[in-house]
Amino acid sequence: MSIEKNKDMRQKLEQLKSDFTSAIEQISSEEALEALRVEYLGRRGKLGELLSGLKDLSAEDKKEIGPFANQIKQELEAGFARKHAELMQELAGEKAQSEWIDITAPGIEPVNGNLHLTTQAIQEVVSIFNQLGFIRVRHPEIDWDYYAFESLNMPKDHAARDEWETFFIADGNKVMEGEKGKVVLTPHTSNGQVREIEKGYLPIRMMNINKTYRRQSDVTHVPMFHQFEGLLIDKGVTIAQLKGVFDFFVKRFFGPEREVRLRPHHFRFTEPSFELDISCNLCGGSAKIAGKKCRMCKQGWLELGGAGMVHPNVLHAGGLDPKEYNGFAFGWGVERTLMMKSGMNIDDIRILYKNDLRFLKQF
Amino acid sequence: MNILASYNWIKEYLKTEATAEEFSREMSLKSMSVESIEYLKDRFENMVIGVVKELKVHPDADRLKVAMTDIGGKEVQIVCGGQNLCSGMKVVVALPGAKVIWHGEGEYVELKETKVRGVESFGMICAPSELGLEKAYCSAGGIWDLSELTSAPAGTSFVEAMDMDDIIFDIEVTSNRVDSMSIIGLAREGGVVAEGEFKFIEPESIKEGSGKDLKVQVDEQDLCPCYMAVVIDGIKVGPSPMWLQNKLLLSGHRPINNIVDITNFVLHEYGQPLHAFDYDKLEGQTIVVRTARAGEVIETLDEKTYELSKNQLVIADALKPVAVAGVMGGEQAGTTEATTTIVFEAATFNPVSIRRTSRALNLFSDSQLLFEKGLSVQLPEIALARAVELTLEIAGGYVASTVYDIRKVEYVPLQFPWNCQKSRNVIGVDLSDEDMIKILEKLGFVLDGSGGQYQVTVPFWRDHDIENEIDFTEEIARIFGYHNIPITLPNQEPPTVYADQALLWEDRTKMLFCSHGYTEFCGYSFVSAHDLERYDLDPSDAVELYNPLSSDLTHMRTSLAPSVLKDIEMNQGQVQSGQIFELQRVYLKKEGDLPKERTRLVFGEFGVKDVNQAFLQQKGMLLLWAKNVGLEIRLERLEDDVYWHPTRSASIMYKANRVGIIGQVATQYQNAFGIERPVMMVDLDFEAVVADMNKKMRYEPIPEFPAIIRDIAVEVDAKLEFSQIKSALLNLDSIIRSIDLKDVYQGEGVETGKKSLTLSIILRSDSQTLSSEVADSVIEKIATVAIGKLSAKMR
Repeated sequence: MSIEKNKDMRQKLEQLKSDFTSAIEQISSEEALEALRVEYLGRRGKLGELLSGLKDLSAEDKKEIGPFANQIKQELEAGFARKHAELMQELAGEKAQSEWIDITAPGIEPVNGNLHLTTQAIQEVVSIFNQLGFIRVRHPEIDWDYYAFESLNMPKDHAARDEWETFFIADGNKVMEGEKGKVVLTPHTSNGQVREIEKGYLPIRMMNINKTYRRQSDVTHVPMFHQFEGLLIDKGVTIAQLKGVFDFFVKRFFGPEREVRLRPHHFRFTEPSFELDISCNLCGGSAKIAGKKCRMCKQGWLELGGAGMVHPNVLHAGGLDPKEYNGFAFGWGVERTLMMKSGMNIDDIRILYKNDLRFLKQF
Repeated sequence: MNILASYNWIKEYLKTEATAEEFSREMSLKSMSVESIEYLKDRFENMVIGVVKELKVHPDADRLKVAMTDIGGKEVQIVCGGQNLCSGMKVVVALPGAKVIWHGEGEYVELKETKVRGVESFGMICAPSELGLEKAYCSAGGIWDLSELTSAPAGTSFVEAMDMDDIIFDIEVTSNRVDSMSIIGLAREGGVVAEGEFKFIEPESIKEGSGKDLKVQVDEQDLCPCYMAVVIDGIKVGPSPMWLQNKLLLSGHRPINNIVDITNFVLHEYGQPLHAFDYDKLEGQTIVVRTARAGEVIETLDEKTYELSKNQLVIADALKPVAVAGVMGGEQAGTTEATTTIVFEAATFNPVSIRRTSRALNLFSDSQLLFEKGLSVQLPEIALARAVELTLEIAGGYVASTVYDIRKVEYVPLQFPWNCQKSRNVIGVDLSDEDMIKILEKLGFVLDGSGGQYQVTVPFWRDHDIENEIDFTEEIARIFGYHNIPITLPNQEPPTVYADQALLWEDRTKMLFCSHGYTEFCGYSFVSAHDLERYDLDPSDAVELYNPLSSDLTHMRTSLAPSVLKDIEMNQGQVQSGQIFELQRVYLKKEGDLPKERTRLVFGEFGVKDVNQAFLQQKGMLLLWAKNVGLEIRLERLEDDVYWHPTRSASIMYKANRVGIIGQVATQYQNAFGIERPVMMVDLDFEAVVADMNKKMRYEPIPEFPAIIRDIAVEVDAKLEFSQIKSALLNLDSIIRSIDLKDVYQGEGVETGKKSLTLSIILRSDSQTLSSEVADSVIEKIATVAIGKLSAKMR
């Protein structure tokens, strides 16, 4: 008897499964699938109805048919899930088609501001020297002759102090003069050297960046430009350390593959004085490109700027004893540094300060 | 300053095996920077001597000729435009593959076989300028006639024929090392840096003669510490021999005649300028070194006339100036083909005097360049001897006077003490005393002393350069080689300095404006008086330049506004509208002291279409900035400031002070600068507030209960200010958290003289979730007050 019943139940379950399988094949919409689910797997569905017959079975029969019924239930559920996933995928594809956008249409850029090229360069330079403990300061742009020249070991009759090289401030129809000499528009940021020493805090790691002025204006010169001036004063400062600082800067600003070298040069306020060169990135320092002379550099090197060990007379002027303290200074044009890094070829440098938005908005 | 130096010439004084590349590298690293190396063999490659055999007129061009030219072993056909070309002439032929400068202008171009107006042309018959030797003597017609090169048959390479198998360095000499602006000076340095031996044989001293007396008188010994002269009679002036001309050409000098060429030769070789006068043209056979007299004029060798002023040093004869001392000789007493007796001058002049005279006259020369750097009084003697030696050899004649030698003081070599250890400390390398001493001695310094402490005598050619003990350190370090010094970072403890906060705030401000779509201006610090006046600023209140470069850059700006307005005007043609800012310094005059430099901030929008919108936008940016820099600012309506629109501007108040203005630039000034559309601008005294800037970090707890947002529309008088509405309503109940203006409407449906405002009101309680009934009752309260106090009509 029980065998009969079980057999019958088993057949019914198998029938149910095969009905479900063929029915689900025909389904093509989410709604129909849900209806099918309700029909078979719902609370009052066919499977439930069939299984409700189980309660009439003996415990022994239940034990036998139970796992089989369970297996059928799982198979139906799996079949339904599979179909559901299939259907969803299909639908998503259709939906996506109806949601098509043109990804080639031009992007809508947010309104973009622009920092002046000089500001950008200054920020980058400062951030590198900051890492070595150099702190940016600002000294006057209009200063006494004393700080701009006299205290920098430049004698009264030095060419830079002539009226055709440096701008002087007028007092009526004379040059303005005061307690520390004539008043000039600083032709270099070196006026910060003795001013910084005079502050009286030692040691010094100064980065003075400012506008500087010279009486020249042509395609490669602007009457107003920017310089940065590094000054390190301490005990036992060496040329080796100056090279270290310079190398640190160049590798971070221009790239780790760039080489640096010092060459003899001459400045009144440093001794020894150097010209700082970096290897040319165009010809890789070989001075030749495809057998022809590199047009960018001089024998594989580009001049970056000047540097040197602070002249004892400058230390004296700041009230320091050169036997106890020494140091080095370096400085050069921000604009030049920027041009060298970017490789930009601006045919007339004066455009930098014309405030032409068509120019400024490029950067 | 740069010098073109022939390696062959240098090697006459320097025994070395170093290649040009090696010499150049060592010089650059340790001495003077070699900026380029030119191999003449390469530069004149494919250039040969040719002989013109037959000349025909070009069938299609009257001005062109077709020259059958022997280039050694074969004849080629070359089209040429040179008018002096004639049959039998010896010429330079640039063959295909040679590099020439087309018509003497621009860059080198490689020649190709070509057709000129239909006629085949195998190369080019050259003018000197086409070879890059534009200073070579060339008769009219353009083609370089080399017929006097009898020993060079057709086909000889140009380099060989001219004895120009040489290498030319272009060397930058630093201003303190005028001694190296000469072949001898470079050879001397080369001997130290490039493994070689410097051999200098002094020219024989002049054997004095007689017959042509000269009266030499130096009135200004401070300006002329050494003056030497000698007369040579019986000379024949004419073209120099080819070797001399070629040496000058390669050095960048123009051959003139043998006497002038000798002075230039010695200038280049010894670094001592010389001058030659025609003895017979010197009035009274007299030379006086004196300052010019008022009104004196001189025509110099460049055929220009200069009016001299009282402090300028001249060389005069008994009557008049015959040279601007050290700068340029006069035309009148110069040597010509007719000259038979000359006076050679070799002198030393005060460098500052030379520089000032040269700048004042705007007259420059190779002599002036050297003199103004400072030359030793020991140099004229040997240079004069060299010039006499060459003259007797090349131009003939004999010494016809004593050697005049007038000096202010007897020469005493400079001496300084030197301590080995001090140099070692600065260089940072453990050099031995012996090595350092060896370097100094090789450079010509003489040392006296022992045990690391010495007295050093400076050689005469470094007279104007060595000034201090520290200079010896430089000499040692550079010869040791800066590239040989190791690279180390400073190992001292860095200072503890608090960064200048003003600079940080300036940076942050710039970044903020940039990130909100503003473009940064950075203009010249100087403006014209006109720019100031256009903005009704009195130029006499501004710092004025004594020596401006031009009339549009005469005063330091006292306000950023005029420059910004000017720049807007300049831009408006191309860029119709935009947002800009400038954060820079202005310069305020202070009696008897340095000007005060103050940072100001200007920002705004130009090309404004909707003025109201623009005002609100700039105000929004102002407040955003103020929040970012931690300043609490407020606006107060401004009505009586001529620079600003009377009903569209406000004072920016910080604490009790006005620190700036926001508003529309008054029409009057907009017009004064020629600006077409309104400018909405903020002009702010950054310096006045920067000390109080502070990045406040404050935590406010996140509200526990949700807010209710209600919008209400009210119609009020058109001139009722939002701030009045807000202050009337905000404090009516503690749950009113904020009142914002969402929309303003005027027009259809709104009574004239009124405006309709949409207010957005946020309600929130700290103790419970609000019910809509509570919200309704508060909105009701607001409406009542609006109607009662603000005469509003609810919509």
